[in-house]
Amino acid sequence: MAKTPYLGEFEYAVMLAVIRLGDEAYGVPIRELIEARTGRPVARGALYTGLERLEIKGCLRSRMGDPMPERGGRARRYFTATPLGLRALRSTHAALSNLSKGLEAILEQP
Amino acid sequence: MTAPPTPPALAERVLRAAIRDPEWREAVSGDLCEEFDDIARRYGLPAARRWYWRQAVGLGARFVAGRVVPRAAPQRWQVRDRDLEPRASWTAFRDIAYAWRAIAHRPGVSFVIVATLALVLAANATVFNLVDALYLRPFRFPGVDRLVVVASAADNGAETDYNSVAPADFRDWQRESTTMSLLAAAAFWDPNMSGVDEPEQVPGFLVSPAFFRAIGAEPLIGRTFLDSETIPGSHRRVVVSHGLWARRFGSDPRLVGRTIRFDGEPYEVVGIMPPGLALPYGAQAWAPLAYTEEQWAERGRGGLLVIGRVADGQTVGSARAEMTSIVGRQRHEHPETNAQRDLTLASFTRALADGYAAPLLAIWQAAAFLLLVIACANIANLLLARGAERHQEFAVRMALGAGRWRVARQLLFEGALLTFAALVVTVPLAMAGAEATRRGMPPGLHRWVPGIDFIRFDPSSLAVMAGLGAVATLVFSWLPALQASGAAVSQSLRDGGRTIAAGRSRGWLGTGLVVGQVALAVCLVAGAGLVLGGIDKAVNGALGFDKQHVLTAEMRLDGPAYQEPEQRRQFVERVFDRLRGMPAVERLAASSSLPYSPGGGLLSRPIYPEGLDLTEAEARPARLHRITPDYFDVLRMPIVEGRRFTEADRPGAPSVAIVSRNFGERYWPGESAVGRRFRTAPDGPWLEIVGVAGDIVQDMLLAREWPAFYTPAAQEPTFATAFGIRTGSDPLAVSGELRRAISAVDPDLPLLQLRSLEQVVAERAGGIAHLARLLGVMGAVALLLALMGVYSLMAYAAARRTQEFGVRMALGATRWQVVRLSLRQAAVLTGLGLVAGAVLAAALNRVMSSTLFGLVSFDAAAIAVMTLAIGATALVAGWLPARRAADLDPTVALRME
Repeated sequence: MAKTPYLGEFEYAVMLAVIRLGDEAYGVPIRELIEARTGRPVARGALYTGLERLEIKGCLRSRMGDPMPERGGRARRYFTATPLGLRALRSTHAALSNLSKGLEAILEQP
Repeated sequence: MTAPPTPPALAERVLRAAIRDPEWREAVSGDLCEEFDDIARRYGLPAARRWYWRQAVGLGARFVAGRVVPRAAPQRWQVRDRDLEPRASWTAFRDIAYAWRAIAHRPGVSFVIVATLALVLAANATVFNLVDALYLRPFRFPGVDRLVVVASAADNGAETDYNSVAPADFRDWQRESTTMSLLAAAAFWDPNMSGVDEPEQVPGFLVSPAFFRAIGAEPLIGRTFLDSETIPGSHRRVVVSHGLWARRFGSDPRLVGRTIRFDGEPYEVVGIMPPGLALPYGAQAWAPLAYTEEQWAERGRGGLLVIGRVADGQTVGSARAEMTSIVGRQRHEHPETNAQRDLTLASFTRALADGYAAPLLAIWQAAAFLLLVIACANIANLLLARGAERHQEFAVRMALGAGRWRVARQLLFEGALLTFAALVVTVPLAMAGAEATRRGMPPGLHRWVPGIDFIRFDPSSLAVMAGLGAVATLVFSWLPALQASGAAVSQSLRDGGRTIAAGRSRGWLGTGLVVGQVALAVCLVAGAGLVLGGIDKAVNGALGFDKQHVLTAEMRLDGPAYQEPEQRRQFVERVFDRLRGMPAVERLAASSSLPYSPGGGLLSRPIYPEGLDLTEAEARPARLHRITPDYFDVLRMPIVEGRRFTEADRPGAPSVAIVSRNFGERYWPGESAVGRRFRTAPDGPWLEIVGVAGDIVQDMLLAREWPAFYTPAAQEPTFATAFGIRTGSDPLAVSGELRRAISAVDPDLPLLQLRSLEQVVAERAGGIAHLARLLGVMGAVALLLALMGVYSLMAYAAARRTQEFGVRMALGATRWQVVRLSLRQAAVLTGLGLVAGAVLAAALNRVMSSTLFGLVSFDAAAIAVMTLAIGATALVAGWLPARRAADLDPTVALRME
């Protein structure tokens, strides 16, 4: 069984966005969601590199949709999390929350 | 806004070019397109376009970078895996990749090379298929390599006639030979088939029962002949070919058992042969060879074709040894008939393949090979030029530690890749070539040139092409490789490519290659021109007779109704009576054969002139035509001396002859032949010469103006009869009248051929003319390649000297002086090539005039004209780049790198 990978901060965000978007997880909304929720600009190049790296690691799976006229006849590339990706997400999340346990007073200051 | 805004097309192209993975390319460009709409709506189109450009460049750079810098962790295992592979094959693989990159980098040059190679290899393959079909394997049935054809004929200088074995000789061989498991005999039999809707003369053979066993033929339906069917009286059996069965009897299987009338007699059909079997000489019907004991005892003369199968455990050599001793004994036992006879034993394929084809095919094959050599020189030259440009690349690689062998090997790989690509293109080209060659063959040739149906693309020729391609690769890659691997590294790097191109090796090699190319092209073009000219002369030149406005019809007067000479004579008279007086008919004649006719009436006789005591071996043959009085008027042949035949030259009157002018000159040089006598057998009756006719070309492939003599048909009417009708206008307009006249006299007689004499001449030359066009095409391609070679070398030289030209012109040289500098080099090159080529062409001409009989004669003027024409075009090819270089502004030229 493949070793559960550890996710970097940006990868962590991308995974969360993909899961949240469900069936509509492709480039444009993923970027918009991360920007909207984190309040930080996301470079498109960085996003695509991240998505590709996550796919190579086996955390994401992608499929091509149908060609769409509003995209100049091109298809969307939809992403979904794999079981390995979910495990990685959980272990990263657990690791981070373990670290932050007891620091809520500091972390949740306005 | 009517149409939705679209992203800038160029930016999109940049982006798409940068992303190699197709799915990513689609997803990313689609995402941008989707966002572009949104941004355009919010910020306006110009801002959106600027935004798109930024994204395209940024993303593109990122993807390109991702490709160049290998991504880290996840891919490492692949790298490690490659490292485990054997080093040699890994570097070879990488060299192929480099080679591919070098080829793809210069699509123009690569395309030219692949196209040249493909064209030339296709020409080679087509000729190879032709040679294979017509010469190497015209017969393709199992065991053909064990079959031999045996003949014993007097050696009188003429080509061996295999259809000449005397029946008694054959009987002896059959009885005495132990090295051959069976011996079969066959005799010409072209019967008239009647009792069907339209009578027809069928090419056929009388064969001994062993014949079908010898060629391993099993009937499709029915059986072949029984030994009992060779007894006269029970011999009226026939086996028909698949073609005849399908064409005339609608493939009716009930034909077996029915009777067909041949030469007026009923023959029972006992068998039908499978498709494709037409041996020998395109036979479509076979009947048993049923000689009486008296006929079998004939030793003086005969017309048998003898086919033997070499027994298992024996070789052709042992068969020849045995037959030589048998024929030697026959010479002693029957000195009165056999004294001059010698054994000829040839393989079945050699004896029955078209004899005329061999020298032609050899020339064609040589021409195709020359073409390949020219193409190799051309490609080597292109690669040399490229190699000079790539000197720095090689120098860098060698400075970084690549061995000379590595660099040379990469060039070899480049060559191999190019050749492989060319081979792929060659296959359909060669298929089309073989197809066109077969289709172009005139149908009349099928009987005499076996193997025409086999002219098609043979997969085995692919192997030959691959072999040729491999050799070509070695040749054209080796020179540049040699040059590249010999580069002095530090020198090249320092020079920065500025002067390295002037390196001596390129100069020598390139010049030599171009000179050779021009020489070979001259040779090929001259060869093709001579053959085409010869054919044109044979068809349209001075033939000695007038082929215009003559209708010809050939037939055979066979069967019981024409056994007596008088019956045959009367038939001709009655046909004449019906045609005479028709307004379109000017003159009428009949003859045993007409010039250029391949028909069965071709006669030749050994000549024994009075006063010269010639033996059978010394007597040389002359063509014989048995003619009616108006023959010379129909063909418009001049009577140069004496008289023509008249109605008075009838049976019972003295035997007379008219001879051709060269006949007279052969035996009575400088004297008149009229009044002389000769005979056609050592003890035959004398013929008195009453007139001398002009020489004519009997047949394009025989020596021009073959000696001939003419005798009155009335004194000995022949079975083969050719009518010739001179008409006032279109001869074919009279064909209906002739057909009606003949069927009115005898409705059972088929007309073999009804054509104008012009058609006869053209068809006879058709096959060879068709092949000659192929040679013409090869000559044209060779010339084109050579001109390309001159052009590219001169263009290269001019480009190299552009700076020098600039200096010269800045110092006051005129444009013409500069062009002249270049032109001088081109003139020296082509001059050398032309001289070498003219010498080669003259030698080739000598060879051709000795192998192609009368077709090609030595023609120095023609060679000179062609050489000069090629020289002029080559100078133009050299002048163009020089002029371009001189047209440059000197200040620009000076700054050129």
